[in-house]
Amino acid sequence: MTETEGLVKRIPNDIGGLPAERVEQVDHEMEPWEKRCHALADVLDFHKIINTEEKRCGVEALGAEMVGKLSYYERWIVAFANILFRKGILTPTEVALKMKEVEARWPKD
Amino acid sequence: MSGADHHHDHHDHAEIGASGRPGYYDMLETAVRELLVEKKLIGPDEIRRQIEVLDSRTPALGAKVVARAWVDRDFRARLLADGRAACEREFGITFYDDTELIVLENTEKVHNLIVCTLCSCYPRPVLGLPPDWYKLKPYRARAVSEPRAVLAEFGTILPDDVEVRVSDSTAVVRYLVLPMRPKGTEHYTEEQLAAVVTRDTMIGVVPVGIPSERAAS
Amino acid sequence: MSKAAIVPAAGEEPIFRPGDRIRVADRAPIGHYRVPTYLRGKTGLVEAVIEPTLVDNEEEGYGRNAGSRRHYYRVAFAMTELWPNYRGSARDGLRIEVFESWLARA
Repeated sequence: MTETEGLVKRIPNDIGGLPAERVEQVDHEMEPWEKRCHALADVLDFHKIINTEEKRCGVEALGAEMVGKLSYYERWIVAFANILFRKGILTPTEVALKMKEVEARWPKD
Repeated sequence: MSGADHHHDHHDHAEIGASGRPGYYDMLETAVRELLVEKKLIGPDEIRRQIEVLDSRTPALGAKVVARAWVDRDFRARLLADGRAACEREFGITFYDDTELIVLENTEKVHNLIVCTLCSCYPRPVLGLPPDWYKLKPYRARAVSEPRAVLAEFGTILPDDVEVRVSDSTAVVRYLVLPMRPKGTEHYTEEQLAAVVTRDTMIGVVPVGIPSERAAS
Repeated sequence: MSKAAIVPAAGEEPIFRPGDRIRVADRAPIGHYRVPTYLRGKTGLVEAVIEPTLVDNEEEGYGRNAGSRRHYYRVAFAMTELWPNYRGSARDGLRIEVFESWLARA
């Protein structure tokens, strides 16, 4: 196997049977935005704008670094944006401008 | 729903700034949602409504189903034959995510455990949202390859003559473990039975314990 | 009068039945897949046919919601088949849903 073949053939979420640490029984109270993000996933699936499998595919496509560094719902919302761009439903410019508008609602730290 | 070694600590990302300003991903979610509503692709109230749906699903629902299966032999048979239909018809638990449900019966000979190695499939309609540990790498990687070691980390030790059976969700079916009814509950009402059935017993990482046992240990 | 044979549509009838010995394909797709690497090339027994037929979820990941309905099967594997150094009981097993296109008779 070449050095990089493994990266290509095993998607970052395909971890069954890999070595790993002790299970720490961690949990956290969902932030309001995380709950909204989960609800958004369900609504997008209901409308078949982004079905659940497309979401999974989109998260995998973020690649190992982002999958490793972003939290669960952070991965979802970035994946949604990418999928919506690919489908021509939203454009990066639209989202960037809307982000500036949202940011402007809050005083700078 | 992809794997990560990374345990997300919210303090690392300074989610809420001093001014109360939301974090980056929070604002990204807001931007995407508002644009979709503006374009009339989703309705303005749909997210709020779906949050209500999610908030209404907790392990208490699964516990009621388990308690009923313990006291009613015919219901148990129907539940094992078609988990989704039994939950929908007899408890009004709708399956908003269009998944199927197979209920896995624990016996003297078989102990069931559920996992989703590829993402985080979980019987959300009947248990609510999964805990973080269920979605993180250690559980997902090791539950399929060393289930007994994982069970031991939850304090669950099973003899070798009990089969540990791990179900890995990959498609439309979701699983709910029907744990064994503990001894000492013969006189319990259905409500009292439901009260001892916790989320983790329906994932299969622990057997059902009853208060006197917990006090003694 | 002879009864005309009923012809099912392609993919409508399950190819495998409970009790059939199957082997999971050992192909290695890149992109989206739903058969974990640990299962590739392994031999197991069909435990149940999942009904009804459903879209191939590997295609569904790319937005193809039609044209691929076949059966999924709940398949049983011995842990000792999956893991060469399995350290539990020889009785231990795994169950997993696999789409028909990944299975062949063993």
